[in-house]
Amino acid sequence: MQLTQKNIKNNNLLLNIHNLNVFFKTPEGISHVVKDANFNLKKGTCLGVVGESGSGKTQTFFSITGLLANNGYVEGEAFFKDTNLITCDDETRRGFLGKSIGFIFQDPMTSLTPHLNIGDQLAEIAIYHKKINKNKALKKAIEVMDIVKLPSNRDIINSYPHELSGGMKQRIMIAISLMCEPDLIIADEPTTALDVTTQAEILNIFNDLKNNFNIGLVLISHNIGVIAETSNEVLVMKDGQILESGETAKVLTKPKNEYTKHLLSCIPPWIGN
Amino acid sequence: MRITMIKFITKRILIAIPTLLIIVAFSFSMMRVAPGGPFTNERALPPEIERNIKAAYNLDKPVYEQFYIYIKNLTKGDFGPSFKYKDFSVKELILNGLPVSVTLGLSSIIISLFIGSFLGIIAAINRNTVFDYSVMGVSLVGICVPSFVMAPLLSLFFSLYLGILPTSGWNNGNILNLILPITALSLPQIAVISRMMRASTIEVLNSNFIRTAKSKGLNQSYIIRKHVIRASILPIIEYLAPASAGLMTGSIIIEQIFGLPGIGRYFVVGALQRDYTLVSGVLILYASLLIFLILITDIIRAILDPRVKI
Repeated sequence: MQLTQKNIKNNNLLLNIHNLNVFFKTPEGISHVVKDANFNLKKGTCLGVVGESGSGKTQTFFSITGLLANNGYVEGEAFFKDTNLITCDDETRRGFLGKSIGFIFQDPMTSLTPHLNIGDQLAEIAIYHKKINKNKALKKAIEVMDIVKLPSNRDIINSYPHELSGGMKQRIMIAISLMCEPDLIIADEPTTALDVTTQAEILNIFNDLKNNFNIGLVLISHNIGVIAETSNEVLVMKDGQILESGETAKVLTKPKNEYTKHLLSCIPPWIGN
Repeated sequence: MRITMIKFITKRILIAIPTLLIIVAFSFSMMRVAPGGPFTNERALPPEIERNIKAAYNLDKPVYEQFYIYIKNLTKGDFGPSFKYKDFSVKELILNGLPVSVTLGLSSIIISLFIGSFLGIIAAINRNTVFDYSVMGVSLVGICVPSFVMAPLLSLFFSLYLGILPTSGWNNGNILNLILPITALSLPQIAVISRMMRASTIEVLNSNFIRTAKSKGLNQSYIIRKHVIRASILPIIEYLAPASAGLMTGSIIIEQIFGLPGIGRYFVVGALQRDYTLVSGVLILYASLLIFLILITDIIRAILDPRVKI
């Protein structure tokens, strides 16, 4: 399958990954953590990435956004709309990050800067990318807090991360990613650190974003239940390889790969009926 | 916030009073346990004269009564007369020396804080580069070489060989006279602070919230300014109080070497000559300065880190 820049111009295509390889230099030699990944993502759809920990699912997305650790490097092509995120310079990539690509991380407890209040952390991203003043940015912050179903009042704006619960912090993280109205949101295990009821609420927010805002969503999770509930398509990863991909319903009901079957058999039988 | 702050400060001042009292009692008894006295000379005084002198300084009274008199005078702000520097009260001596010592100490602490943390941050950002290795190497030398070695070396090089700076003296606080002593005092502190700052900055740079800041597409200098420094400077702020204590003891030596009329000199001379009141007076001053500095660092910490409750 040879992809050229022309067929990427297809308006609906948001993310197009072609032969992506990620390596880490370690004292023991080079470790190859993502092997020849190929996939794409359309607007308004959700791509679920499932796999055990260490399967390379997080590093795949760190690599295209320049968040790899210092000893990591990446080869291949990763087109976001028309731009190859691998070969473009840092300046260009930073221009997309936060503005057109939102990132949500696994651990909401430690992912917010402890000494800045919530308002500052929400506002700075809009002030930085859109060059608007602080008042406007805070107004926008209150708008997005409404989308993530936080009480949009001044109390939360003025509070510090340690004063909020885990679920609230994760909503703030989502709100941060929404501040500049992105086209793509990458959510790395967004519900893992949360309790089950909060998990369900967060997943509802994701479904809303996908359906109402036409945002492309990447949902990385080791929880098949979460993937099944939200994603249209799914990638199954193991040891850096994409073993199986396709429509979520198909992959999860009629798995072709042995590993996918094995993963599904790990779900207790009394769930999912 | 403001009310809790005032409450906190009052509480700390109230705690400081018994602390100081214990320090006074301790120094008072230590001085008297040490053999000899202020009027012990190689040639013994005639007994009548010695008795008269002792009576003049209340030394003929029992120790607990001396202590009572001393404390009573202290509450009036009277530190007593110096036993050795005749015609001077301890208060006069301290007030003479204080501006010198404070100039020296304060400039050293500010200079080492700024230079140390700046070098530490730059080293952390450029980790494992030539810059990092050279800063860390030089700082190791700064930690290992004591100031009483550094000071004569500095004055040998800059004053005798190059002849650009005066070797010693106060000269009414002329900046040229201050450069060498302040440098000698600051170098070890710059070394320690730059190492601490490097370590804490590296820790902060690896933390999850910096990853979040990067994912927001912010550029590096913005991330350092807004997200890194306030978090990574916290250990340095905590270190400031012990650092000032180090500077105080360091300045005793530095003042001797550079012939500066600071308080440190009185402390050493007073202790050697059993000048009871002078030593107690200087000690009370040092202790209150330290207590005050710890209070200040706690307040700065509370301002920088919203998680700190005071």
